Amino acid sequence: MDYEALKEQWSEIEDRDGVRLSWNTFPSSRMEASRLVVPIGALYTPLKEKTDTPLLQYEPVSCKAPCRAVLNPFCQVDTRARLWICPFCLQRNALPPHYKDISQDAIPPELHPNSTTIEYRLARPAPSPPIFVFVVDTCQEEDSLKALKDSIIMSLSLLPPYALVGLITFGTMAQVHELGYTECAKSYVFRGSKEYTAKQVQEMLGLMAPGLRPNMMQPQPGRAPPPMGPAARFLLPVQQCEFQLTNALEQLQKDPWPVANDKRSLRCTGVALSVAIGLLETSFQNSGARIMLFTGGPATEGPGMVVGPELREPIRSHHDIDRDNIKYYKKALKFYDNLAKRTAHNGHIIDIFAGCLDQVGLLEMKGLSNNTGGHMILTDSFTSSMYRQSFARVFDKDGDDNLLMGFNASLEVITTKELKVTGLIGHAVSMNKKSASVGETECGIGNTCSWKMCGIDPSASYGVYFEIASQGGPTQIQQGPQKGMMQFLTYYQHSAGQYHLRVTTVARNLSGPSGDPAIAQSFDQEASAVLMSRIAVFKAEVDDGPDVLRWVDRMLIRLCSRFAEYRKDDPSSFRLEKNFTLYPQFMFHLRRSQFLQVFNNSPDETAFYRHVLNHEDVSNSLIMIQPTLDSYGFDHEGSQPVLLDSTSIQPETILLLDTFFHILIFHGETMAEWRKAGYQDQEGYENFRALLEQPKEDAKELIQDRFPLPRFIVCDAGGSQARFLLSKLNPSTTHTSGTYGGVSQTAQTIFTDDVSLQTFMDHLMKLAVSGTG
Amino acid sequence: QFGQMNIQQPAAPQPPMASPGMPPGMMPPQPGPPQPGMAQPLPQPTVQLNQLYPSDVISQPFNVYELDMPPPQISLPPNTSVTPSPYANCPPKYMRSTLNAIPTTHSLLKKSRLPFALCIQPYAALHDAEDPVPVVPDQVISRCRRCRSYINSFATFLDHGHRWRCNMCNLTNDVPQAFDWDSATQTSVDRWQRPELNYSVVEFVAPQEYMVRPPQPLVYLFLFDVSYNAVVNGLLATSARCILESLDRIPNADRRTRLGFIAVDSSLHYFSIPRDGNELSDPSMLVVSDLDEPFLPTPEDLLVNLSESRANIENFLNKLQGMFQETQNGASAMGSALRAGHKLISPVGGKITVLSSTLPNIGHGKLEMREDKKILGTSKEGSLLQTGNSFYKSFAVECSKTQVSIDMFLFSSQYQDVASLSNLPRYTGGQTYFYPGWNAARSEDAIKFAREFSEYLSAEIGLEAVLRVRATTGLRMSTFYGNFFNRSSDLCAFPAFPRDQSYVVEVAIDETITKPFVCMQAAVLHTTCNGERRIRVLTLALPTTESLSGLYASADQCAIVEYFSHKAVERALSSGPEAARDALQSKLLEILTTYRKELAGGSMGGGGLQLPANLRALPVLFLGLIKNVGLRKSAQIPSDLRAAALCLLSTLPLPLMMQYIYPKMYSLHDMPDNAGMPDETTGETLLPPPVNLTSERIVPYGLYLIDDGQNQFLWVGRDAVPALVMDVFGLEDKTLLKQGKSSVPVLDNEFNERLRAVIEKSKDHRAKGCGSITVPSLYVIREDGEPSLKLWAQTLLVEDRADQGVSVQQWMGLLREKVSE
Ligand SMILES: [Zn+2]
Ligand SMILES: [Zn+2]
Repeated sequence: MDYEALKEQWSEIEDRDGVRLSWNTFPSSRMEASRLVVPIGALYTPLKEKTDTPLLQYEPVSCKAPCRAVLNPFCQVDTRARLWICPFCLQRNALPPHYKDISQDAIPPELHPNSTTIEYRLARPAPSPPIFVFVVDTCQEEDSLKALKDSIIMSLSLLPPYALVGLITFGTMAQVHELGYTECAKSYVFRGSKEYTAKQVQEMLGLMAPGLRPNMMQPQPGRAPPPMGPAARFLLPVQQCEFQLTNALEQLQKDPWPVANDKRSLRCTGVALSVAIGLLETSFQNSGARIMLFTGGPATEGPGMVVGPELREPIRSHHDIDRDNIKYYKKALKFYDNLAKRTAHNGHIIDIFAGCLDQVGLLEMKGLSNNTGGHMILTDSFTSSMYRQSFARVFDKDGDDNLLMGFNASLEVITTKELKVTGLIGHAVSMNKKSASVGETECGIGNTCSWKMCGIDPSASYGVYFEIASQGGPTQIQQGPQKGMMQFLTYYQHSAGQYHLRVTTVARNLSGPSGDPAIAQSFDQEASAVLMSRIAVFKAEVDDGPDVLRWVDRMLIRLCSRFAEYRKDDPSSFRLEKNFTLYPQFMFHLRRSQFLQVFNNSPDETAFYRHVLNHEDVSNSLIMIQPTLDSYGFDHEGSQPVLLDSTSIQPETILLLDTFFHILIFHGETMAEWRKAGYQDQEGYENFRALLEQPKEDAKELIQDRFPLPRFIVCDAGGSQARFLLSKLNPSTTHTSGTYGGVSQTAQTIFTDDVSLQTFMDHLMKLAVSGTG
Repeated sequence: QFGQMNIQQPAAPQPPMASPGMPPGMMPPQPGPPQPGMAQPLPQPTVQLNQLYPSDVISQPFNVYELDMPPPQISLPPNTSVTPSPYANCPPKYMRSTLNAIPTTHSLLKKSRLPFALCIQPYAALHDAEDPVPVVPDQVISRCRRCRSYINSFATFLDHGHRWRCNMCNLTNDVPQAFDWDSATQTSVDRWQRPELNYSVVEFVAPQEYMVRPPQPLVYLFLFDVSYNAVVNGLLATSARCILESLDRIPNADRRTRLGFIAVDSSLHYFSIPRDGNELSDPSMLVVSDLDEPFLPTPEDLLVNLSESRANIENFLNKLQGMFQETQNGASAMGSALRAGHKLISPVGGKITVLSSTLPNIGHGKLEMREDKKILGTSKEGSLLQTGNSFYKSFAVECSKTQVSIDMFLFSSQYQDVASLSNLPRYTGGQTYFYPGWNAARSEDAIKFAREFSEYLSAEIGLEAVLRVRATTGLRMSTFYGNFFNRSSDLCAFPAFPRDQSYVVEVAIDETITKPFVCMQAAVLHTTCNGERRIRVLTLALPTTESLSGLYASADQCAIVEYFSHKAVERALSSGPEAARDALQSKLLEILTTYRKELAGGSMGGGGLQLPANLRALPVLFLGLIKNVGLRKSAQIPSDLRAAALCLLSTLPLPLMMQYIYPKMYSLHDMPDNAGMPDETTGETLLPPPVNLTSERIVPYGLYLIDDGQNQFLWVGRDAVPALVMDVFGLEDKTLLKQGKSSVPVLDNEFNERLRAVIEKSKDHRAKGCGSITVPSLYVIREDGEPSLKLWAQTLLVEDRADQGVSVQQWMGLLREKVSE
């Protein structure tokens, strides 16, 4: 099969199973595997929306413990003996009695060859309706607070009427609103400067069971005990408390405590979060719940503060962190990490919505969202449409009017014995489950075959990494081409209230004898680039920046030495197969991306970008790594992809840049002049007007299902906003490169010390062929 | 035959010191200028002091009407006052001395064994209008440069009236020009018309110098117990309704009065009340359960202006009861609430009013149930009267420093540790009001509390007050008794100054007094509840004497008993009731022995017990004190009841104190025809003559009222005739009578009307010359009915033998025996 056909096939599989693999043929020995450089990995989107396959309304047939693999199209089924053989553990299992009528012609859906991914609705109902706790920062200007309140009130109409909602507000102090109380507005107030234990929070909210607090809550004779517990008091069905909650939100005022001119508002984000977590902790453990934090600035008070209240004290930058010159960072990080662990353990989600021009401490808080599968939305203000639309999109629904969000998911990976799972990179935590499928090495969150995603949505994608088992070669029992297999079992609480199980079974050929060219041919450079990016970013979270860059380079050089064709020490002889050619370019852009080059961004932005990268599928991730650039001009119809290179900047073109986070329309110098002269409004220049509109239309198209909503920028050559474009372009014409070398005189010169792609490739070829990489 | 007797009305004997009840600005009749010769007062040994009238209290037993006799006359040398005003000396209702003739030496005082103390009650009513005092409005306050005394009618003018000599320390001071010339109106004024030269009780409007900060507004912070007990017994609902109905009565003339509310169970519930006209009208409740270091949940709207938020305060009070009706919470974090309340109001100062039915059992000042029936009546009982948690003393001192005063309204049916809680009012100028077993479902309880609380809210209390007593050189104020904090050796601090308490100050004689008379001046610097800084000054002049008989002849038995009541409370709190009783007995014996030895010639006068006529009530009053519920020997008195009684014994104004120690009993079935009818001249209801507190005076067919000022007992004899029962209660048969807390129905017959008038009059504080919020509960007792009720009423019969107490005959016998030893 040629490369294009393979790509087609991979894309079909991705559509069906939500899986892209770095290698589509698995090496059959550990030795072979070690020479692949890029590990075997899958970028898997467990809840990828599937409309083509039916939802099975019965319980899955599972293999005996401890295997528990689910019956799938790759199983050998003996219809007469009513037996099936599990391909993972090779055990025989009896088919359940109600499968007695199956035959070659009448097989259940899960055995159908196309049912490599299938979903069951289980009999197990969710313990409670989904819960939404709004945690609202009141240290904001009136207009922004108003916009925020409006957006939350609007969201109530998007929730299923039975969903439970709660409200916590915070500023100098944190307040839990007792929505179930109807005599007057009532809230419990927590001191913003104090670290409350889970037990204290529950005691103070009166959530302890009667009798647990001596002398406090003795049941009084002659009185029916009033409904206790947070469900009756703090968390109520939307349909029941909408009025109360709307009132509470509408009456919400700016934090009343005075703030001096030289001070920041006191904002106890940490206490507010710990109270929210404590509220859900006892009564709703393992029930789907989202804690939605809306913060208008950094925590300046109490545990988790990221900057002091003095305005003259700036919030930490990457340089401060690099120099270890930071007052609150480590303490705050530890505080939020502990909260994140607790929340993940409880099965709850934390979303962070930041509406602030400055940083809010996302870096310190990132674990909250990353560990729990929550969203992270970083915007300038709650008045921005970027916030409003992104927030609304959280409540997107499927065709059956169910929220497109799953709760309390667990992803388990089962492998045939030559494959072992080494880890997962994505928004999840380990469930510390050991099995025969767990590998010896660790990549990402390892040493387990199962992970927990408190929050999961249809686009949530996870990098899962594998190794080849050390012992022995393939088993000789089966005939035909040997296959390595993996099964992904995703249990989750569906927003409609039942538990679901999604099963994806992946089988790929094992390579033949050493040096089988099938391996190289099966390389999916796009999936590989994304899987490697996730590893690089994972490393960057713990290692120094330069070390990670060196690692990226080393891996690229080794991959090229291994798979390129060349004569030793002759760079000019260097050739890559078609399915490898783009990979070095991806790595070039990854090196210069905001994911690894952090100093041009704030620590909050870095946390945000990395968060999003770890959530998206292959194509979206690739846009982030290597943005797309399209050109519009009179000389061609519609858009035309152009190189992400400074040479693409021409006076008579309009460019549309998509970095995933930004969508930018750039008018070349002449285009801008014409527009400023108002030609588009003149008769006879309709074509110009249409040309100006075209990129806008296309941008709208791009924004359509983008989450979070990208920042939209329209700029002209020479304008200050143009820097967003310039920073993404390959500096083929820098101020150091001069104007020779066939580069157009009209191309834009970029003031940068970065190496250009050409220089990078030259170095790469030189090193790859030298055999020293 | 009683109809013939002169009814002992307080109105009968009223010598020169009648009430100076004149509105400000009104001048006394004919205050003339002083005689020129008055400038240099010479010793005037010609004064006729009171004579000693010996008597024997055994052969001639004490009769209750003797208690209503005025104190021995104060006989000053002629022309001691610069004006001939009849109000120049202080009336006894404001200030009276245990000795109306002062010994010139310490040794004479010591020899007499009599105490030298002042009983000071600066206010005689809860409201100015009921007892107006002349006001000096011009802010001209002339004080002695050395001893800081206020100029008064006993000062003398020298140097053609340009200077005045201080009657305390003899220093000559300049007379302010304004005494003779009003610069504002450019007219001359007559200094002899100045109130402070005509009246011994005056109030100066103070200028700026008397303020450390602008006068504070009146602040009331209410701490409502909202735990199960307080909701179920109706306290919350009644308090809220009562405040609601009393909003117009709370002093707010300057429209600055502020109110705040905190509800307390195991959490603190703050209420933020919006201003009227705000978009919102409903309160919001902010719950703080973090009791470690209570904090304010919001900087706004917790303490709101009564005028500006009137409608929303009413709205809040209407809702308050409903807010907690479902409670199951049995805890009270009142100590923490107090801390929080203090935090809220201490920047301004003011009153914290605690309304609680529960022992504070969590948070700051947590108390434990420490009462044990087994130790009641034993020597260990005293420990129950001591403070259970040091919080209640240290916090009280903190409050005093920040001008916060605390009043406790306590309602528990179970142990509430009144002993500990009462420390807060004790050191902050507050009061403890105790309603044991109160329940709003009993209308008598609800009405009593509502009336009292409403009176309480209406009282024109002073704020940020200090009391200082100055006296003629040679005298020194040595010890102070009452509810306040003794900030320095002679300064008593009152964050709020109540109008229903009295104070005792013991006086020491440091130097021999050479003057024919001495002066004592009490000054209360305070902020009125309408934002004016004022000084109320009381000046008392007393003659001196060098003779023991002069001392005894002028001793004031009521003042002496008030002094010993305070002493006994002090002793009971430190060492227990037994020690206090013993001390009282030995003090009485000392006096009896001294009198016998020094003045009665050592003879027992035919085996009797000798005392001068003016001290004849002493033995029986001491017996009453010893038998008071606060001190009585008994194993049946819960410590809360004792502690509450001790609060009364150390705060009550003198008339109420006397009644509390020796209650009033009236025989009603045979009362004179005019009893219960208005007096022809004054219009005041006439009371029947009181009778001695002994069951010998109770006939089986009789009807009696026994009234100790806190409770009234209507005693129905076992042989009461049906006609009486019908007239009084409208019942055919006395077995139908509702016993216990009750009221007399309004019936259309003359006897019923007169009876009700008597019961009502017996409660009339104003007629007694003092302010009080107390509305005694009426208990109907059937002699042949509920035994425990009957026993309770009988404990008031001081002269009877009861429980572990002796009869008056035994008491006299015992005293005689000891005295003759
Ligand atoms: Zn199996
Ligand atoms: Zn003086």
